[in-house]
Amino acid sequence: MKTRNSKPSLKMAFLNSFKNFLSLTPMIFAVIGLVAIFQVFVSPKMLSRFFGHGEIADIFSGTFIGAISSGNGAIAYVVAQGLKHQGISDYALIAFILAWTTLSFTHLPAEASVFGVKFTAYRNLLTFLSTIFIAYLSALSVRLFF
Amino acid sequence: MKKFKFKGVKFLLFVVALFILLSIFDFENIPRIMDKFGIILYKIIPIFALVIVLTALINYFLKPKQVMKYFGKDSGKKGLIYALIGGVLSHGPMYAWYPMLDDMRKHGLKYGLIANFMYARAVKLPLLPFMIGLFGLTFTVIVNVYILIFAILQGKVIDFLMKNEKEILKNDD
Repeated sequence: MKTRNSKPSLKMAFLNSFKNFLSLTPMIFAVIGLVAIFQVFVSPKMLSRFFGHGEIADIFSGTFIGAISSGNGAIAYVVAQGLKHQGISDYALIAFILAWTTLSFTHLPAEASVFGVKFTAYRNLLTFLSTIFIAYLSALSVRLFF
Repeated sequence: MKKFKFKGVKFLLFVVALFILLSIFDFENIPRIMDKFGIILYKIIPIFALVIVLTALINYFLKPKQVMKYFGKDSGKKGLIYALIGGVLSHGPMYAWYPMLDDMRKHGLKYGLIANFMYARAVKLPLLPFMIGLFGLTFTVIVNVYILIFAILQGKVIDFLMKNEKEILKNDD
């Protein structure tokens, strides 16, 4: 019997790694399924309707819309570019991009099943607040120093 | 030996039920959803392979004691720097990295470093030129510096909030 500090063989290490990955496959397939459903039903045009209600309101909208959106981070930039042409502030767009890349309602059940409900709740709440603060502080820094 | 158990089965059943409902009420969109599903899966397969290899190498080269040393509760600044660099360099969706983080957590990775890693992923190196084009260099630099500062803060707060959480250490055999 190995002790907790013993080193596994390379074959054993790969086997353990694969087994660990395999145990999470139902969760991964579920997330991909949910993201696919979301991408079909929620279009960038739909998202743009939530903006254009003032800077602070747009920062909150950006955070919320980014959090409920999902997909490759590059898509967030493409959507943000379209929103910029509509005159949406950079701060709201930063909140949107940050929320898109760091928060995702579609990932919540998966994150909770792996790391626990407590960690998931704390982390997502902190990420939500961080996103709003970063958008606001970035705006403030640009105004104060540049 | 620990019994093998699938995680997220209920979540998968929920999504399957959603698919069944959609195929009854909105069958037209099912091929589009399946297409998207296939495209996403195809794109992240290389990341899954990378995650499996990385996890195996970490398990092979780092004993649980070393994982504790570099990423555990006494890991200090080194652990933080590794977590931030890892977050910035990691690609693909967050959930693709769950297996590696889950495995490392069982070997002593602290919750604060998971939070550091997850938030540092907001710095997207390949997308930086796009970001500069969209917001300008100054704004991009400011935002990314704030992201790293807030990633560090999040880790500290998470460590504080989770300090009473029981440590889950895996007994490999």
